[in-house]
Amino acid sequence: MNFKTFFAFVAPSVFMMILFIALPLVSVFIQSFQITQPVMQQLEVETCTPGFITQTCVTELKTLPVIGEDGKIQTTTEWVGLQSYRNVLQMDKVWQALSSGRLADILQIDFWKALRFTLMFTLLTLPLVIGVGLLIALAVNNAARAVRGPVIFVSLLPFIITPVIGSLSIYWLFVGDGILTAMMEQWSGTNISMFAQSWTIELLMYFYRVWHVAPFAFVIFYAGLQTVNMDTLESAVIDGASRWERLRHVIIPHLMPLIVFIALIHLMDCYRVFDEIIGFRSQAHVISLQWLTVDFLTPDDAGNRAIARASASAMLTMIGIVFLLILPLRRTWRDHKGSAHS
Amino acid sequence: MTLKRLALAGAISVMGSSAFAACSYENTTEIKMLSAGFEAWKAVADAMSECGNFKAELDQEFRTKQPAAFEANPSLYHLGGVSNGTVTPLLNAKTIRPLDDLVAKYGANLSPNQLIRIDGKIMAVAMMVNTQHLMYREDILADLDIATPTSWDEVYAAAAKIKDAGVVDYPLGATMKSGWNLAQEFVNMYPGFGGALFKNDNTTGVNSDAGLKALETMKAGLAFMDPEVLVSDSTYVQQQFQQGKIAMANLWASRAAAMNDEAESQVAGKIKMAAAPTAMAGGAPATTLWWDGIVVAANITDAEADAAFKLAMEGMDSDMVQANNDAAIWLVQGFQPGPLSQGAIATATANPAPPAYPSTTQMGLLHTVLGNEIPAFLTGERDAAATLVAIEEAYTTAAKEAGVLK
Amino acid sequence: MSNTSKAMRQSLALRLSSNAFLLFWCIVAAFPILWIAVMSVKSPVDAFAQSPMDVIFGPNTLARGDGLSVIDIALGLIVLFFAIRWMFTRLPTWVARYSTGSGRVIGWLLGATAYALVFLLVFFGLLPLVLAPLNALTGVLGEPVLGLTTQHYVAVWGENEFYRNFMNSMLVTAGVVTISLTVGTLAGYGLARSESDLAFWLLILALIFRALPHSVLVAGYLPWFINSAEILRPIFGDLSPTLYGQPWAVIAVLVAINQPFTIWMLRSFFQNIPAELDEAARVDGCSHFQAFRRVIMPVMWPGVITTGLFSFLLGYNDFLVTSLLLDAQNQTMVPAIAGYFNRETTTTDQVEAVAAAVSITAPLFLLVMVFQRQIVSGLTAGAVKG
Repeated sequence: MNFKTFFAFVAPSVFMMILFIALPLVSVFIQSFQITQPVMQQLEVETCTPGFITQTCVTELKTLPVIGEDGKIQTTTEWVGLQSYRNVLQMDKVWQALSSGRLADILQIDFWKALRFTLMFTLLTLPLVIGVGLLIALAVNNAARAVRGPVIFVSLLPFIITPVIGSLSIYWLFVGDGILTAMMEQWSGTNISMFAQSWTIELLMYFYRVWHVAPFAFVIFYAGLQTVNMDTLESAVIDGASRWERLRHVIIPHLMPLIVFIALIHLMDCYRVFDEIIGFRSQAHVISLQWLTVDFLTPDDAGNRAIARASASAMLTMIGIVFLLILPLRRTWRDHKGSAHS
Repeated sequence: MTLKRLALAGAISVMGSSAFAACSYENTTEIKMLSAGFEAWKAVADAMSECGNFKAELDQEFRTKQPAAFEANPSLYHLGGVSNGTVTPLLNAKTIRPLDDLVAKYGANLSPNQLIRIDGKIMAVAMMVNTQHLMYREDILADLDIATPTSWDEVYAAAAKIKDAGVVDYPLGATMKSGWNLAQEFVNMYPGFGGALFKNDNTTGVNSDAGLKALETMKAGLAFMDPEVLVSDSTYVQQQFQQGKIAMANLWASRAAAMNDEAESQVAGKIKMAAAPTAMAGGAPATTLWWDGIVVAANITDAEADAAFKLAMEGMDSDMVQANNDAAIWLVQGFQPGPLSQGAIATATANPAPPAYPSTTQMGLLHTVLGNEIPAFLTGERDAAATLVAIEEAYTTAAKEAGVLK
Repeated sequence: MSNTSKAMRQSLALRLSSNAFLLFWCIVAAFPILWIAVMSVKSPVDAFAQSPMDVIFGPNTLARGDGLSVIDIALGLIVLFFAIRWMFTRLPTWVARYSTGSGRVIGWLLGATAYALVFLLVFFGLLPLVLAPLNALTGVLGEPVLGLTTQHYVAVWGENEFYRNFMNSMLVTAGVVTISLTVGTLAGYGLARSESDLAFWLLILALIFRALPHSVLVAGYLPWFINSAEILRPIFGDLSPTLYGQPWAVIAVLVAINQPFTIWMLRSFFQNIPAELDEAARVDGCSHFQAFRRVIMPVMWPGVITTGLFSFLLGYNDFLVTSLLLDAQNQTMVPAIAGYFNRETTTTDQVEAVAAAVSITAPLFLLVMVFQRQIVSGLTAGAVKG
């Protein structure tokens, strides 16, 4: 296929991605090195607000932005180099903590706290999702043909349900004296509060993520199992391979590309974990990188948003994901080279 | 039964959209409003839509959208619903217009108390006040022979008694969900100890004796609260009350009506309201006063502004208030303060009176910082002094980025 | 695997443990969803009650006069049983009888919708009519024993006009799926048949785009969308639109965000279609586009349907983009539900939100039922060969 035809085929898709992903990304990149702020002045302002029955008026010195001739707030934009990155990373505190040997202090800094959780969340759920998905796929494949349809249907439910609603439905089961917490209290005879300390919240988050994504892994593995070469399996049986050996030496290698695919998708989705933080209201104990970025971006009542720090934290998140993806992507590169030369 | 009810509901909703009966005139200019979505705004928006040609967007994202939407030319909305916190960006960018001439034309029924004046110019018209104050189970306090607490020390003493008696799961509830809610608790408590949030040079003054006391007082309450209090927002506390799980809480006045809602509450009629507790002897109640009201966009034509304001006055009239008397502590004429509003009125008329929540750029920055830094103190990861230092540092970073500190 | 050989036969212990695991998994998978469905038909007091029994039996709901009798439950379960049974047996036969070939998808969609409508009519329209006199006649058996109320559904769909949000959701989702697939199939095909390094790097770039946190992009759109009329005025004059609040603008954003995944999946799928097929067509004098239309299009449906399903889920379930970029008039269902949970809500609002949440899950149920086979066969055909 020559370049012109290739271009014609991919142009609409590439155009949309450039417009809605690449351009915003470039602007985020630039903004991470800039600080744009309004020009401020101090003015004496009298403000009268209602009490009950009578008003109270106060006169105070207020810091207000200057309005330009076009009727908009005057702003200045300054190149600040890596200042915003420094504000996010707070390396001085990190060195301090390292030199004084109190490593726990590092986790008091928002970015490192978020990074710790995001990485742990991503790397812990990955094997779980693949393992549980594979188990379900094998079990369904073993099951009688008649029940397979309904079982696949039920298994897919956690994956298709709207994430906001899925996480809420789990949150309600456990929050306060939610029925599952109440049940556990009855069994154990102690008072359990799942949302009072970070490790239980984290546990619930892992559970929710595996519950939500394992069906995706399952359905892909299940599809993969349908194409396992029966002859190879039969000959392995004749060679006296046990069930476990067959799984290890025939089925898993056959599913390997799918495992890589799921790992890839899962790494990407997990690394930007956000829904769980909101759904389980875990901000007090556990935060993630994307939550941190969103928190910088969310305007407060006075309309301030920390765009520079948000951009810096977004870029740092991106660097992280590129690192995580290098390993699985090397394979794709080899495949590509392989197919090009074959 | 179900089908019939569905049909009925459909018929009612169709009727609702075409009736002008309750409005004194027919509105012919298309008017749009963006506001928060709580009960009082629903009531006002419903009253306004009776006049026709009106679209209300009651949106929980309004804080994100409002500054940008009012800055567009023409503005995407004619009317905005704001509080003393959220009016700040609109005032700063001057995207809302002075209302003096419109008030003179249509505001005959407004009381002077309702007019929010900035440097003498009317910039917004308030319709209600809101504040956090003490709600308590009258039956429990009477059973245990506890007088209504007036200070936080008394609240904790009462809580200790209730805990010993074991009549409820947790004696105290609190809106301590990390983030905005938790920060608001600090903003209530800190001025109660006489602390000033800012110094004259825009740096924050929270790293002080009053700051330490405020933090320690907040933490002292944890012993009487649900261990999951860091996820509890107003709705959660309200539910805990309704389910009879807690006996006292410092909760928003706008939540009072829900306590007596027979359909939801198992304790209807048992909850009473009192002034917010004081933090120190002789001090003001440890809370802040809020108002909610409407503003009119600057980037619209004068004719549209005229129609919008006329419509808003129709929505905020005494008919609407009489129909929704308990939905809020209304400032509008015709409001009959009932037993539910006693606590809020006692708070607002206390001497010394609690401060109004400050509408400044710095306050917005500090509020966010407080919400992010205080949880580490309450979970025990950090002591009070270190937390105040962290708040100061984080505020300084944010304020420098926003241009309020050099 | 019907002709399983002797050696492949499973031991009893293995079969038992495998099936027990499956049963356990099905309970874990379905329980939270079933539970919110139960909550949605109870009064607020019961829905958030502490004891699970109170939530299931709903004494408070019952006390307020809403409930089901033993007969109601028995007859309801019978109808439900046959409804579900026929869904897996009769429905496929009917669809197979009345539609063929590429019309199969449409046939399934129409069939499933019609089936759902008939079911709703029978279950909520006809059944109560039959049961009312039956309950009155049978005395004790006709006494309500299980608290159940549909008031929240009535409130959501009637008073709160949730059908508007439903229509908006349908519009956005349909737009996202069609445009996403049209653009994506072309690009996927192009990428699959190109051996240049450019194609590879494009793919990697797309993957990195997919990894981006959406919030970063979306927050960047807001000022542009709100001010677009002012920004575009020099180009389009007075016709320039305000993009904020426009469903088609949101569709464009969602399509773009979804492109990386779509082209990735479709590329793998097209790679599994032998290149000899279209090369043969090209030898016959077809251009690439003609070859694509005549040779590839007829065989690409399994992969396209599977990919389309993922696009559907993305468009239907999206919260971040739709909540920020749409106004109240064009609000889709998910942000509308989140709206019930904003700062000032009541317990009733929350149960209504639960009812709304259950309602929006129903179309997803339907979709999976219809396309279950296609998903598996589409994936088997290689849409995800990594």
